[in-house]
Amino acid sequence: MPSSCPECGSSNVVEDDLYSQRQWVCVDCGSVVSEGHLTTTVSDETQGRAVPYHASTEVLKKPCRNLIAGFSRVRALCRILRLSSDMESAVVSLFERAYNHPNFIFVTLTKKEILGGCCVLSVCRQCNWPVAMGTIGYLLGVDNATLGTVYREFTKVLNIEISTIGIMDMLESFCYDFKLGPQQVEEVFAEPAQRLVDRTSALIELAADAWIVTGRQPLPLLFAAVYLAWQSLNPTVRMKYTFVKFCKIGQAPKQSWHRSRDSVVKRLKELRDVLCKLGRELPWLRGGAVEPNTVVPLVDDILKNRRALLMRAVRNHEQQLQNESQTAQTTECDDELSDSNRSDSHSSKTPELMDPDQAGCENPPDKEATDCQLPPNHWSKRHLFLPPCVKSRKRRRVDAPQLEVTGDEEISDGEIESYIRSQDEIETYLKVRKELKNKA
Amino acid sequence: MDEEASLENYFDQSIAGSSDYIFEGDLGLQGPAPQLQDSSFLSSLTSQEKDLTEDLDLSFLPDELGTQDELSQAKNLSRNEDSGIYTDCPLRESTEGDTDTSNSAQNASQFNLPMTPMTPMTPMTPVAESSGIIPQLQNIVSTVNLACPLNLKSIALQARNAEYNPKRFAAVIMRIREPRTTALIFSSGKMVCTGAKSEEQSRLAARKYARVVQKLGFPAKFLDFKIQNMVGSCDVCFPIRLEGLVLTHQQFSSYEPELFPGLIYRMVKPRIVLLIFVSGKVVLTGAKERSEIYEAFENIYPILKGFRKQ
Repeated sequence: MPSSCPECGSSNVVEDDLYSQRQWVCVDCGSVVSEGHLTTTVSDETQGRAVPYHASTEVLKKPCRNLIAGFSRVRALCRILRLSSDMESAVVSLFERAYNHPNFIFVTLTKKEILGGCCVLSVCRQCNWPVAMGTIGYLLGVDNATLGTVYREFTKVLNIEISTIGIMDMLESFCYDFKLGPQQVEEVFAEPAQRLVDRTSALIELAADAWIVTGRQPLPLLFAAVYLAWQSLNPTVRMKYTFVKFCKIGQAPKQSWHRSRDSVVKRLKELRDVLCKLGRELPWLRGGAVEPNTVVPLVDDILKNRRALLMRAVRNHEQQLQNESQTAQTTECDDELSDSNRSDSHSSKTPELMDPDQAGCENPPDKEATDCQLPPNHWSKRHLFLPPCVKSRKRRRVDAPQLEVTGDEEISDGEIESYIRSQDEIETYLKVRKELKNKA
Repeated sequence: MDEEASLENYFDQSIAGSSDYIFEGDLGLQGPAPQLQDSSFLSSLTSQEKDLTEDLDLSFLPDELGTQDELSQAKNLSRNEDSGIYTDCPLRESTEGDTDTSNSAQNASQFNLPMTPMTPMTPMTPVAESSGIIPQLQNIVSTVNLACPLNLKSIALQARNAEYNPKRFAAVIMRIREPRTTALIFSSGKMVCTGAKSEEQSRLAARKYARVVQKLGFPAKFLDFKIQNMVGSCDVCFPIRLEGLVLTHQQFSSYEPELFPGLIYRMVKPRIVLLIFVSGKVVLTGAKERSEIYEAFENIYPILKGFRKQ
């Protein structure tokens, strides 16, 4: 702190605050001897705090880095899926809207990536460009469930109308993804894409009629159908190639089918069973046995005549059921004869109504595996083709007997006492807990 | 004779306008035969109500032929309807004899009309004129306020059927055997009771939990018992084309086979969410009243029948 004024030499220097700036002023001559700093340096700022990005003005001047990264990622996705430039710009603007929405601005980076995928999916659906969720999931590296939760929240929050796409829409682009052109693979494996598409779409229509499609994931079914179609177009040579081999030949990316290969195997089995059921109706086989592993050469004939074969199969099945119920009739016990007479006439007139009075000494034969635990008079026995979830019940449902209460009854003390620990129990419990804590 | 007297009784009640008397409690559709007799009287009564309001015709007053008409009309009604409920009616038919054959022709025409009761009677159980299927309630969620702060640690220590893990969840999870339910008890004194299969069971269970908390030394009360959610399920017994349903009812349905195998149908009136599966099973949830579930199912059944594939 200076004690003498350099101008006049007096020692009368006082401290003064001018515009909150400290100054030392000589009283005698009025000259400013020295002054404090108007600003502070970083080392002086012991109590200062950096202003966070979202509270500063930089938000307006420079967009968020993650948003820019998100844009480039979303554009990359659009290019991989080969969307038009209109669609790409729609996706980008939708992504910006979604990113800045309060529900999504503070989520993790992975979730923001998934959000980008959801934007792509949403715009594709709106423009009728068939993209499966599984495809987006495989491109982003997430599973359907995670993608699904983000997608649902996204559509709800932004009020987007979602439209479902059918499996047939996804079919064509799916088939074209397999590289089976004559230049890419050997002659015996090659298949012009259009033929593959036609054969696969016929197979999927058949599967839809036989209830294999509804309620299931579309991609495993598409894989199974394409494989069967490819096999059936040249059965003599291609029969010995497994599904995995086929994917390698067609250069299908491993991540897209590897996770769902169990489902693909199940769908293959179901498809072959349906083809067998229809194959049995082919008149020139004269009722010979048709086995799942030999049905592939017949696929061509079956698909050509599938409508007629379907009708024949269903009709024969109904006939068989009627014959069986009539034979069951004649072997029934006497005291149930009157009941079953009435119910039999009932069932022959209206076969689709449920028949609770049927005495049912005999079970109508099961078309499927005998390990399903359906009750003998279940309605599913009447249909030839059914969704597989109906025919195989995994757990027998036990309905507890209904409790008839009024809600205002007396509650016995004894019952309530049974839920409360005695003093001894409490002491024992505390002792054991202490011992366990000491040991751990 | 007794039948006629009780019949007169019912008709007198209806003149007095006490429509509540008619549908007391649960009609017990699977109940024993006498109850079924009552329900067929009651259904004839609803049609009588309709006649009453149309023209003040007092022809239903006790008269030999009149009462026999009612009985025969009841039989015709039961025959015209779906056999879902009146499974024991054939027993009654055999006792009535031939008086119905003459009246059946003229009475049949009256009872082909749809039963839309014109008086405000809301039956506790639906007279299933269209589907014959009644959804079963599977779960009821209710809340109640015990109105006193609770020490969860002490409750968890003193009660046998309680679990408390404050790091995972800030409430005691308590279970009782009868009715088989689970309750979440919070330190503020509020409680959530889940797992009951009917409203009365839920209320009884909540009272039992309150009694346990009382016995543990807290001044628990039983305030604001309210049913928050009811879940029901049933089976329509035919497979359903979900893809067709989502195309025609796009504004209400959401079907994403890649995410969930069932179709989610958000009905507007009543505000119920239905999960419809390809196997024909339907789950209805979001109801605050039992009648909402029944109404929702009756609304969806004709729609589903349209997507039945033969």
